[in-house]
Amino acid sequence: METTAIKSKFEFNDNVLSFFNKSFYYLESFSTLKIDTLNKYDAIILDARDVEFARIILKKFRSHSNIEFYLKPIFLINTKTNNDPLLKELVDGTIISFDQIPETINDINQISIKTAQLESSNSNSFEVQLFKKVLNYMFTRETNTFTPHPDINSSIGYCFPTISVNFETFEEAKVLDLLEWAEKENLIWPDFLDRVYLCSNCKNGHLSYREICPNCDSANMRSEDLVHHFPCGYIGAISDFRNNVDTVLNCPKCSKNLRHIGVDYDKPSIINHCQNCNEVFQDYLVKAKCAHCKTDTDVQFLLSKNINVYKLTKKGRTAAVGGISASDFTLSDEIFGTVNLKTFATMMHYEQERIKTNPTLSANIVIIYIENIFDLYRKIGKSKERELLAEFVNIVRDGITPADFICINNPSILSVCINDVALNDAQLRVMKITDKLEELVYNNFEGFALNVFTQTVQLSKEQSFDKQLHVLIKEIVEKG
Amino acid sequence: MIDAFDEFLNYITTVGPLKLLRIFWFFVYFEFARFFVFELAVVVVWKLREPARKILYSNARRRLFIERPLVSIIVPGKNEGLHIYKLANSLKEQTYSNFEFIVIDDGSDDDTERICKSLQKNGFIDLFLRNDVRGGKASAANLGYRFSKGKIIVHLDADCSYDNDAIEKIIIPFYLDDNVGAVGGNILVRNYRENLCTTLQAIEYSDTISVGRITSSALGIYRVVSGAFGAFTREALDRVGGWDIGPGLDGDITVKLRKLKYRIVFEPEAICQTSVPNSFKKLIKQRLRWDKSIIRFRVRKHRDVFYPNETFSFSNFISSAENITYNLLLNIKWWVYLFDMAINYTSLLKFIFPFNILLYTANNFLKFIIFSLFRNRKNAPVIYFIPYLPCMVIYFGFYLRFVRTVAYIQEFFFKRSYKDVWNPQKSSAHAKELGI
Ligand SMILES: [Zn+2]
Ligand SMILES: [Zn+2]
Ligand SMILES: [Zn+2]
Repeated sequence: METTAIKSKFEFNDNVLSFFNKSFYYLESFSTLKIDTLNKYDAIILDARDVEFARIILKKFRSHSNIEFYLKPIFLINTKTNNDPLLKELVDGTIISFDQIPETINDINQISIKTAQLESSNSNSFEVQLFKKVLNYMFTRETNTFTPHPDINSSIGYCFPTISVNFETFEEAKVLDLLEWAEKENLIWPDFLDRVYLCSNCKNGHLSYREICPNCDSANMRSEDLVHHFPCGYIGAISDFRNNVDTVLNCPKCSKNLRHIGVDYDKPSIINHCQNCNEVFQDYLVKAKCAHCKTDTDVQFLLSKNINVYKLTKKGRTAAVGGISASDFTLSDEIFGTVNLKTFATMMHYEQERIKTNPTLSANIVIIYIENIFDLYRKIGKSKERELLAEFVNIVRDGITPADFICINNPSILSVCINDVALNDAQLRVMKITDKLEELVYNNFEGFALNVFTQTVQLSKEQSFDKQLHVLIKEIVEKG
Repeated sequence: MIDAFDEFLNYITTVGPLKLLRIFWFFVYFEFARFFVFELAVVVVWKLREPARKILYSNARRRLFIERPLVSIIVPGKNEGLHIYKLANSLKEQTYSNFEFIVIDDGSDDDTERICKSLQKNGFIDLFLRNDVRGGKASAANLGYRFSKGKIIVHLDADCSYDNDAIEKIIIPFYLDDNVGAVGGNILVRNYRENLCTTLQAIEYSDTISVGRITSSALGIYRVVSGAFGAFTREALDRVGGWDIGPGLDGDITVKLRKLKYRIVFEPEAICQTSVPNSFKKLIKQRLRWDKSIIRFRVRKHRDVFYPNETFSFSNFISSAENITYNLLLNIKWWVYLFDMAINYTSLLKFIFPFNILLYTANNFLKFIIFSLFRNRKNAPVIYFIPYLPCMVIYFGFYLRFVRTVAYIQEFFFKRSYKDVWNPQKSSAHAKELGI
């Protein structure tokens, strides 16, 4: 009843509150959820009575690929104490009641001012796109540190909320890969905090360590002290010295009692006895069984990863506003059947010269933009990038003639030159290619729906090719 | 000088045999009679019985390969990592393959542990046991024996190498006679070419150790199953409770087995090669330790073999008595001889001395050449050693005798072996207290 009373102080209908010129959406259950339309509100008030619900919603927002969602100011209400690092780190505040809504206005304005300063830039790889997004978030929230939090839900035992939110908890190791990449690009600077050991097969950190018999791998073994009786030189397991009658230890060789450690006997070592196969040994193996993929690994072969606290470097801070100029994208050089952008531009320049001399000739430029390719990588892993791109190139190659050529601008954009056919012919070919691309991904990756946008135009004789390409890409990305 | 020698020759040809015996009694009674004529006789008999023995031997070998018992090879040692690697490799060549290879690291402070663990991981070693605190050679051997599973236990030294049929050869004697409790292998000097010191030891080994052991084994009074290469039945080791603390633990365990009426045999065909000390100084240290153990074990710990009690056995009595006689007493008699000559034949000393050397040298040549006919396995042609034989008089007659005398005095009067760093102090203290 109290909530209703407070609600009444504001304009409140259908979960929407207005205050000053700001609109708030109050999210309390899945039934009120229409997440795709929530970008139009200035902030979200998220009810956290159900922690799991709050977590799912928060993750939906912060992992969204659209800036209007992932930077959305979110405030928690009705929080109980909880240790979820996401709920702690990825919200902009906690309010006790709607009365406190006015107190959030300042934060919302601040975030919006910062957001306005962000420059949009063309992303050119999975890492760049994702990291750029994380940097945007950090910039608007005025933080420059990645702090790892111990997290039972995380497959590696730690999470970095701003990054981890973009991944599933069982693929947390990919967060480390991304951080390693950013460190290599000099965007962040590490400060050692801890070390984790991960399954070498699936990079999971939920491991069960056991001492096991080197002969049969059984953990069923008994460890005993070795006892050396000085006067007679006998040496054996301590059980050799026990008797059934009393607790005194007697030497099995000379029958004397052991009296004083260090004087008449000592314990120079230990001995293990496997109860399963009867093997005797001193050094047991330590193996770690992965709770996720069940692989049993000798501990020396586990993956060892440092967990660092990372701070943005100067380059990182600059990149947060502008863009990330990552190391050159070189896939074109490596994937058979493609040329790099520079070569492509040169060839297109010759093409222009060629069609200038003979009006009957023509050339078409095709831009293929795969809008959600990074969502796919997030699902299948970055390591598949090259393989997949090579497949894409094969499909494109099948749909064009050997005289045509292909360039990989970046993992989401391919440009193709189709010579000496009419524009509508070229468009027809491109449609077929698009279908095949979508079909390939749908069939191979559990029905994943690839969003492919294409633009096919005739190469202009007058405008410089670079300019034409730039305009085309801009149009297609904005349309997507 | 030559005139003087002529004069001496004249003298000895005229004085007659009895007088000569009076002057050269030491050589005639001991060196010639015991160590040449007697041994030659035994070896000739042994050789004559060879055809008969060969039939028994091949039967025994057949029985061995039908039964194929598990043999536990135990190698105790400290800081022997590098040797272990070579040894592990060479054991793969053995004609008898049903063995487990157990290495016991007695508190090494070098890379031994790391090396052996990796050898174990790669299957070169079946069981690697380590005492973080050193316990001495006996306890290391006992540890290996405690966790071994074989019916026969073969004790090897890490720094020795073995013929590829050595394991087979050393266990065959157990199938020749069920009463055999231990078998000793034949030891050759691997580094005999290194220098004079090692060459002289090679001659000594082939002489006293090889032929001497054939003789004593044939007579049933073989004394020391060498730690470098010895095999024991588990039953025998169980009955004596393994090794007692050394030094001299090889001789000690042999005596203990003898007391239990086991037969102890020498197998000249089971060949082990060892590197001997390569300087006279190192050799002194080694021999002082060996010689002290005669006092400590024969005279002190196992003096009961001379008592006519229930464990008394005539061959044990002879074995120990022979050992004491020809080491301790002979050594004393040697000094007696020197004094005897110095006092009673002062004027003739200048002849007696060179003539003795002449006799000894001649004897050495004769012995070495004749005995080499009985040795099937030699490390070099006889001809290689011939130029060195004259040195043996000095080596054997003076150098070794002197070391032995020092050792006996140290041990007999001062019990120096209990201070030997060879054993950890904690063990020696108990041994001294118990008088063993
Ligand atoms: Zn086992
Ligand atoms: Zn004891
Ligand atoms: Zn796994």
